[in-house]
Amino acid sequence: MESYEVAIIGGGSAGLAALKQLSNLGKQAILIEAGKKAGTKNVSGGILYSKKPKRGRAYNVEDVYGSVFLSDAPIERRITQYMLHATSGNKVFTMDLTAAHEYQANFGYSVLLGKLNSWFAKQAGESAEKQGGGIVSGVHVRSVSWQDGKTVIETDELEPFEAKAVIAADGVNSEIAEMTGARNKFTPEQLYQGVKVIVKMPEEIIEERFGIGQEDGAAHLYAGDVTLNHIGGGFLYTNRDTLSVGAVYHYDSLMQRPAEPYTLVNALLKNPMVAEFVKDEVAVKEEIDRNLPKEEQLRVRFAVSKLVKTWNELRDAYHSPSARKRLVEGGKYKSEEEIKARLDSVRSELEGKYRTKFVTDYVELEYAAKLVPDGKRCAMRKPYYKNILFIGDAAGRGVFIGPRIEGLNVGIDDAVRAANAVARAIDRNDFSSNSMGEHYSQMIEESPFTRDMKEIDKDYLKIFLDAAKDVPKDIIGQRYGMVFKLMSSGTLRGLAVGFANILGYDRLLPLVESEDTYVQVPIELAEKMGRPVAATYEPTLPTIAQRVAQLKYDDDRISHIKVLDHESEFMKKMVKLCPTNCYSMEDGEITLQHEACIECGTCAKETEWRHPRGEKGVNYQYG
Amino acid sequence: MSDLKIAVIVKLEPDFSEGNVSYNADGTLNRAETKSILGPHSAVASSAAFYAKVKYGARIAVTTMGPPIADTALQQAQLLCDADELHLYSDRMFAGADTLATAEVLKTGISKVEGGKMDIVFSGHRASDGETGQTGPQTAWKLGFTFLGNVIDYNVDMQNRVVRARRMISLQGFYDVIEEVEAPLPVFIAIDPSYKASFNTVSQRLAFEKYQKEAKERAQNYKQYLKIFNAQQLGVDPKLVGLPGSPTIVYKVERIPKAKASRKAEVVDGSSRDQIAKVAAKMYEVLGGMVIK
Ligand SMILES: Cc1cc2nc3c(=O)[nH]c(=O)nc-3n(C[C@H](O)[C@H](O)[C@H](O)COP(=O)(O)OP(=O)(O)OC[C@H]3O[C@@H](n4cnc5c(N)ncnc54)[C@H](O)[C@@H]3O)c2cc1C
Ligand code: SF4
Repeated sequence: MESYEVAIIGGGSAGLAALKQLSNLGKQAILIEAGKKAGTKNVSGGILYSKKPKRGRAYNVEDVYGSVFLSDAPIERRITQYMLHATSGNKVFTMDLTAAHEYQANFGYSVLLGKLNSWFAKQAGESAEKQGGGIVSGVHVRSVSWQDGKTVIETDELEPFEAKAVIAADGVNSEIAEMTGARNKFTPEQLYQGVKVIVKMPEEIIEERFGIGQEDGAAHLYAGDVTLNHIGGGFLYTNRDTLSVGAVYHYDSLMQRPAEPYTLVNALLKNPMVAEFVKDEVAVKEEIDRNLPKEEQLRVRFAVSKLVKTWNELRDAYHSPSARKRLVEGGKYKSEEEIKARLDSVRSELEGKYRTKFVTDYVELEYAAKLVPDGKRCAMRKPYYKNILFIGDAAGRGVFIGPRIEGLNVGIDDAVRAANAVARAIDRNDFSSNSMGEHYSQMIEESPFTRDMKEIDKDYLKIFLDAAKDVPKDIIGQRYGMVFKLMSSGTLRGLAVGFANILGYDRLLPLVESEDTYVQVPIELAEKMGRPVAATYEPTLPTIAQRVAQLKYDDDRISHIKVLDHESEFMKKMVKLCPTNCYSMEDGEITLQHEACIECGTCAKETEWRHPRGEKGVNYQYG
Repeated sequence: MSDLKIAVIVKLEPDFSEGNVSYNADGTLNRAETKSILGPHSAVASSAAFYAKVKYGARIAVTTMGPPIADTALQQAQLLCDADELHLYSDRMFAGADTLATAEVLKTGISKVEGGKMDIVFSGHRASDGETGQTGPQTAWKLGFTFLGNVIDYNVDMQNRVVRARRMISLQGFYDVIEEVEAPLPVFIAIDPSYKASFNTVSQRLAFEKYQKEAKERAQNYKQYLKIFNAQQLGVDPKLVGLPGSPTIVYKVERIPKAKASRKAEVVDGSSRDQIAKVAAKMYEVLGGMVIK
């Protein structure tokens, strides 16, 4: 049997950082990733932060990958505006939370994990190769077991192999955690469900619309009626030439009032402010005259498709300084004016010859969904089991407090701590849980993020309250009364936070994370103080079938999910809660059609849930 | 890195994939208009050699006989197998060669690589532009190597220096019979088109990644690995190569007459429900006849 020092299971941003860090420390490690390539299975919002906490230290992305991260990594835009909007109908009340976003942050960049994880994989893979390790993708780990003092890893694709230490970075739906009994499956109270769409938009139009510079980015958060009465909210982040628009809701709130996940994104997209943000010019092909001869119909269809494609590509290029430069320097066009002229001529050909219409609408490129572990409620107390260390989503770690959304950076910080613990274990040749596991657990305890998962940071709270200073006391006062009074007074705030922390997060959270906070208060705010926003068009929302049809899958005949009880109340709710409508009810029984599954994990609690075999299942392009 | 030494024989062929072929009015191939690429069988042979690179760290030389532009075939093969050397045997004197004369050039060339100490020579099943599948066996015969044809899978026992291979053959009227054979090195393997390498250990997957990356880099600078030999440099006997060395002459190539279709197609316009129902009914009727009750 082949033997390796360290096996990392899962090549998301956490697992890849662990591989890179171990290689930086001169240790051999291999990483096994189920997806065809790194980055095809990961979903985020997402803003990747680098933090500088006042107490303790955070290990950031640039600590792991070095300065090339900022100069070379495919990061989208540095977020310089962070807004929170309360919505009701066509009214919006806005609070500027940029200060909260910048709180203890070196930077926050919008990212797309399809691209970014693939870059991480290149960096980590090359470093690992030098130590005799590397990345093996398209392989799904089936089990980890202990035989005759050896840790044996079995996969669906390869011969079993041995590893002295294991880092489990297999995400929120960690099979490793479940099969070893390291932790229970997460329950709805411990999870959010995130759903997201990528919207296409030319680079300079983004800058103009959001009022940002070439390198800058904007983030907009939404609460109020867009939540359809659920606890959580919507987000819109600007990428280089796309927008990420999504909704993240507490899973138990969805269980109480089941709604199809896509209706939550749709509600957001229909909000007049969001609709205006995502709008673009879209070519709509004219129906082809059926009286024409068949060959002629075909010819027209091809010609129009080709022209529309050219128009889209050229338009994207025309609105991108770097692409414009490439086209001119590459000699394809003599000048920028010439690109514009060609763009106009393609357009008038489409309009004149083929009666194509150019309308205001928006264009979706990808639909995605994934569970998010609410670190406050589910972070593993001791994130290890025997010689396995759990990191990132697999360990249930992430800081999600109101507008603070941090999973990526937390996973990277975990990864460094785990890698350091493993490196130390290699040096001492002691991989026992008492030594390696406990050491790691201690380092996790020291992480500033662990503190943030356990208690309120009063400085952060102050910034938040300052941003909310225009909010009339009566709207909030009648609900939070005493608490609010204490909080808004500088001297008493410290006391109040202290008291709240003694009370414990567990008892405090239901109060703060409530429908009042995410639904009623924002609605009242918008109605009383909001400004009206009018949408100039009505976005054409794709159906879920159209969204699924746009995704790329490697179909597996065999279903990776087995329904255990076809009649349970939980499973009945999946008919609504599965983001791609994989479940349906037939004669009172739940049936599953796994082909459209996007591996979000929503149905995992009461099913036998595995990730698909290597390379199989969904392949995200953006993520 | 082991000391396994491998040569792969490849061929530049017209690209027969859809949209890339061009024919003359008389039905013969228009070679000037048709793009040339590494032949599909040569590609399979290259992949088979790559397997030995990944698994045994073999050294690979890819060889071909052809005009100077045949170096593109070598480049494409290098991309597939991460070849350490590329050899092109090119000389006007080789023109008009039949399979036997080609085999003479290849044999002479292969004997030159690695001091003639080859362990395995791979070739494709046959070429797709009118070759008869004889170059391989003839080269093997000239080299004095054991010939294994139609190989779908192989492994090398490095300690005992034997090859174990599985061959897809037809036996006593049965098709697709799989035969397992064992032969001492050196061997000549003509690889079956159905060959597909599988890598099933972590170390093989890591090696696969590493060599694939190396192959990409090498193929980008393939000229660095390329050596071109003319007849004189090879030291071939002029009587045994080119036209003089070719006992066969292609006298005439006939077009295979197009078979008359015995089935009748009916075009149904799928615009309405009724029309679709009609198609479904037809399918049901036809399939019904096929069900064994
Ligand atoms: C909609 C949404 C918005 C978010 N917004 C933000 C944000 O703005 N900022 C932020 O910081 N965080 C955000 N997050 C959270 C963040 O995206 C996650 O915390 C992070 O991506 C988790 O990374 P990970 O490496 O731990 O897990 P994952 O990215 O889930 O990686 C796990 C990997 O393991 C592989 N794997 C699983 N099982 C196996 C197996 N058995 N064998 C082999 N491979 C396996 C999977 O294929 C996958 O690639 C958001 C999440 C969502 C869903
Ligand atoms: S079947 Fe389950 S895991 Fe798959 S998309 Fe639906 S809810 Fe998510």
